[in-house]
Amino acid sequence: MTGAGRGVGRGIALACAAAGADVIVASPGENGAETVAEIEQRGGSAAWVRCDVTRGDDVRAVMAAARGRRGVHVVVHNATSRRSSEPTRLEDLDGAAWEDHAAVSLRGAYHCARAGLPALPRDGGRFILMTSPAGMEGSTMLPAYGIVKGGLRGFAKSLAREWAPLGVTVNVVSPLAETPAMIAAAEQDPGLRPRLARRIPLGRMGDPEHDIAPAVVFLAGDGARYITGQTLVVDGGRFMLL
Amino acid sequence: MADAVRRGGGTAVGVTSQLGSRAEAEQALAEATGALGPLDVVVHALVDPAALVAAPLTETDEASWDARCEAALRTALACAQASFVQLRDRGGRLVFVTPTVGLTGAAGLVPYVTAVEGIRALVKSAARQWGRHGITANCVAPPVALVAAGAEDPGIEAPALGRPPATRRDVAPVVAMLAGDPGHFVTGSTVTVDGGVVMAP
Repeated sequence: MTGAGRGVGRGIALACAAAGADVIVASPGENGAETVAEIEQRGGSAAWVRCDVTRGDDVRAVMAAARGRRGVHVVVHNATSRRSSEPTRLEDLDGAAWEDHAAVSLRGAYHCARAGLPALPRDGGRFILMTSPAGMEGSTMLPAYGIVKGGLRGFAKSLAREWAPLGVTVNVVSPLAETPAMIAAAEQDPGLRPRLARRIPLGRMGDPEHDIAPAVVFLAGDGARYITGQTLVVDGGRFMLL
Repeated sequence: MADAVRRGGGTAVGVTSQLGSRAEAEQALAEATGALGPLDVVVHALVDPAALVAAPLTETDEASWDARCEAALRTALACAQASFVQLRDRGGRLVFVTPTVGLTGAAGLVPYVTAVEGIRALVKSAARQWGRHGITANCVAPPVALVAAGAEDPGIEAPALGRPPATRRDVAPVVAMLAGDPGHFVTGSTVTVDGGVVMAP
């Protein structure tokens, strides 16, 4: 999986390892190695491969590393731009910020799919992407993040149709979690947390490992084999418009 | 196209632009407003025919991915930002054409559908952020000719009204509604105009 150094990605990596997966953490920075160390300390199996998802060669190297271990059964593309939490006015969104969002989220998904398909098993492979309410409802603070997260749902629906004859499912998870990105956003906008809490029926933000990751583990497993092209919203009930 | 509008009795000016950057889009709008006066409505209906040619994602090289997906997003963003510059003080209407294939997905069109859904999210963010300027932003979703493009038909129902839309007679009035007074309190929405195929939510 990409972007498992912190936040939701780290939670997913920990939960998948606990469920018995050999987790390849693909991230550009050392925090990926920290996630691996945590997994190993808990008795699980994992490896860190330094990876910039905007580069096809890096992503291919991740798949090769996985094939050298237990093979690839599930690909989770979770990485987002480092600038994901920078509040922006749409009229002020500059080329560099847009390019970073598009490269990590959209081109990253493209590279993961292209490199992943040859490695994924027919009749049982899984490709999981991450979206956000910003992608489904528009965002008042993070327009570039919303654009790429919306785009990834379109990506997933089309890819789900394209790969269905191969028995590889493609789904999307929309989490609402207390993550470093959320904390950074809340620092910029002090009203964010109380606003969100009022709108979450279950009354709290999700914990990445214990609230969000189990949904991903489910989608990765055999129980979800008849689910494809879907967006699973894991957010305490905040978004109920599907 | 400008000639056709004038022959029909309308007023038009033709401006040629790749719209590949914010600067180009601002230049194009400046030319248009220079000829016709202040801006009220922007309709972004551009679809690159090359993006509608079906191809498996695994056979799509990076240049093709960029041309079919990210270039379309850059153009939509440039168009929106340039429009804002013109509309921020007077208010106005933005309408983006986002074909229904964005809602359903289609095998062979991963890059294009990614762009369409990204544009719908862009329009929603524009609606939320620019409402305070009196700007509405909406999507109109007609079907796009998938069979002609060689893409696999998702196998959805036939239209309830028995035929696909004719653009001028069936789709244009909906765009006009969103651009005119009846649409003044509609923003961030996607209006499907497909004769009753896609009916979600």
